[in-house]
Amino acid sequence: MSAIRRLASRLLGAAVRHSSSKSQEWVRAMLSELDYMESDWAALFWALGSARAIFKYSVPRQLHTWLGTRSNEEEGMLKHMRRTAAGTLAGIGIAVGVLVAAFGLVRLLLVIFPAPTLKGVESVQMLAVIVVPETIFVVAAVALWRKRRPMAVGLVLSAVTLVAHIVVHLTTH
Amino acid sequence: MKLRLSPQTLQVLDAFLQAPKDWIYGYDISRNTGLKSGTLYPILMRLAERKLLETSWETAEVGRPPRHMYRLTPEGMRFAKEHHLQPATRRPARVAFGGVNS
Repeated sequence: MSAIRRLASRLLGAAVRHSSSKSQEWVRAMLSELDYMESDWAALFWALGSARAIFKYSVPRQLHTWLGTRSNEEEGMLKHMRRTAAGTLAGIGIAVGVLVAAFGLVRLLLVIFPAPTLKGVESVQMLAVIVVPETIFVVAAVALWRKRRPMAVGLVLSAVTLVAHIVVHLTTH
Repeated sequence: MKLRLSPQTLQVLDAFLQAPKDWIYGYDISRNTGLKSGTLYPILMRLAERKLLETSWETAEVGRPPRHMYRLTPEGMRFAKEHHLQPATRRPARVAFGGVNS
């Protein structure tokens, strides 16, 4: 047996060893054909093509099996994580929406009813943009804690961020 | 499951139709259709998966490994006849089929 034919045979032999039980029959079929080929180079190209065929056949099935196995064990967890993330983001989104609405409302009121002093304006702004939204966040978070915890967490996170922002603002100014 | 009918698949089906009752070796199909093993075997695997092709191991000659043989099932035969290649698109056979009579 020439070196080229030996190489072809070894290549398919390795494919037989590493292929799944389902594809093994096919790899053996391709391997057995090698002995009936006259040309060594034809045998080598046959082996290379066969290895490609087995790869094309086995990899998607292996992947499918792997994903299938994973879906039973981890799909539930992934779904839960996706739901939690979506809930938290929704909570943060609602909080941001409330803050933007409050800020816009205060600005609009100031345009319609101009304030006489700057001190008065600051107090209204503090009340409308900080105190009222913070109260809403806390009340909503408590109400939602049992049934929609991720959303409540999003609201709490927003409330904490707002408080932290105020603290930083007051200490630096 | 639907079978993707590529020109190569049609070529393989057409090759089987040339000797419908004979068992054919993979290498002979390859020589007859001009398809490389990397193209031919995935087609054979898909056909077998869909029960359009039956496979069998030939009893071995002394000192040689047994060979895998293929033949269309009755369902595969019907399918092949339905999708028979037009003569103009058929590839001329290079060598005579080394089919094994059943």
